[in-house]
Amino acid sequence: MPDIIEGPPEKDDRLPPWPKRLMWFALLALGGSLATAIVAYGLRALLKL
Amino acid sequence: MTDLDALVLARLQFAFTIAFHIIFPSFSIGLASLLAVLEGLWLTTRRQVFRNLYLFWVKIFALSFGMGVVSGVVMSYQLGTNWSVFASASAPVIGPLLAFEVLTAFFLEASFLGIMLFGWKKVGPGLHFTATVLVALGTLISAFWIISANSWMQAPAGFAIQPDGSLLATDWWAVVFNPTFPTRLAHMALAAFLTTALAVGGASAFVLLRDPEQPESRMALRMAIGMFAIVAPLQLVIGHASGEMVRVHQPLKLAAIEAYWKTRPDQAQSLVGLPDREAAKTHAEIAIPGVGNLIQGVPKDTVIQGLEDWPREDWPVVGLVYWSFRVMVGLGLAMIGLGVWGVICCLRPGGEPDRWFLRASVLMAPMGFVAVIAGWIVAEAGRQPWVITGVLRTRDAVSPVGAGQVSASLLGFMIVYAIVFSGGALYILRLMGRGPAPEELAPTPEDRAPGTPMAAASGEPGDDDGEDGRGGEERP
Repeated sequence: MPDIIEGPPEKDDRLPPWPKRLMWFALLALGGSLATAIVAYGLRALLKL
Repeated sequence: MTDLDALVLARLQFAFTIAFHIIFPSFSIGLASLLAVLEGLWLTTRRQVFRNLYLFWVKIFALSFGMGVVSGVVMSYQLGTNWSVFASASAPVIGPLLAFEVLTAFFLEASFLGIMLFGWKKVGPGLHFTATVLVALGTLISAFWIISANSWMQAPAGFAIQPDGSLLATDWWAVVFNPTFPTRLAHMALAAFLTTALAVGGASAFVLLRDPEQPESRMALRMAIGMFAIVAPLQLVIGHASGEMVRVHQPLKLAAIEAYWKTRPDQAQSLVGLPDREAAKTHAEIAIPGVGNLIQGVPKDTVIQGLEDWPREDWPVVGLVYWSFRVMVGLGLAMIGLGVWGVICCLRPGGEPDRWFLRASVLMAPMGFVAVIAGWIVAEAGRQPWVITGVLRTRDAVSPVGAGQVSASLLGFMIVYAIVFSGGALYILRLMGRGPAPEELAPTPEDRAPGTPMAAASGEPGDDDGEDGRGGEERP
């Protein structure tokens, strides 16, 4: 199974332009927060069952 | 079964689950900081050895972080199931501290962990390093809130007791920065760094015993030696400062730790012995007369309270607290010794640790975890019979549930933990024992993540980067 952890770009890799990198940074951070919130509120909802 | 059985079972359940849980955060706090250091070193020096070490340890960090989160969720659920009286009474004080932990630390860690694991090529090296630093910061902020809450239970401050028995915070500054908190936070953070250094050093030594030239393991072992050579002696100083706080704020706990049975000046320092709670004496004791007060940092003529000052039913389990403390201190001294030995090895001509040192490092690898668990037994068992010192007794804090219910959930936890967490811990141990795998050491094909079987099979290692396939031109 392929490893899901992504490594660093190698020296020949061309990085995306900085606005795109920044957008990925914000998207992944928000996505992480959102996923955490969904799990947290899901667990909280379980308490009310 | 009686209510007492439910209390004992609830305590056993909490002890069992927290002893499992503490292993993972104490490892991930240290590993997150190690990863930030490794990535920072890779960015500044571009030496492949740091990149390879990062890629190796980040997998173990991800596993450890995941298991820490899952085993931590169980802890908070137990507050509701087995300790509802405690939860209900202390929620106005403890609740916000735990909520702050989730909002300021856990969200920070969880959000940026995604970038750390999946986004290196998407965000580039600078922003990825920012994410790694934020995750490391998040682990430390998490420790800040959890230790604050626990320290408040050890020496509560800044609150009032309402007529209905519930607690109300009157001074949040005093609640958060309660008297024992600063030294306990420093003690725990250093313990996490030491635990990680010992585990990383031990894993690297294990690989070096098999392959003495493995460059990543040689570098990791040197970094670990540097870490425990500095941090282990510092931990002794901080631990002593934390002990002074115990003397001032929890004299009963100190009396149990040192088996002070009598209240008197000029206490002896007990080294080892067999404390007997019934007889109120220590059998077969080896003690140094006249230095107890000196070690406690008070003049010889200062009276230090002994257990006789408290009703016998309020005494903690003296033998457990006494011996847990000695295990923790004994291991701490062994860590200092290992650090000194490692520095001597590195300073010798040739500068390489010998095989005896490597064997000793492997032996010491799990000892950080043992010391952490022993330290927590001192902190928690030493606080008994109180769950909040002087405010709420443990026996009054338990939920009104039967022993049957608690035993069923305890049995469930034991089965699930034995399968899930033991499996996870064994997998981590297998990874650590294997060391950085060849595919991790290869440069990354543009369309594939490093460390994958596909990447390893694509034949890049050694093709253009030197004979060992580790990016030879960037190596020192």
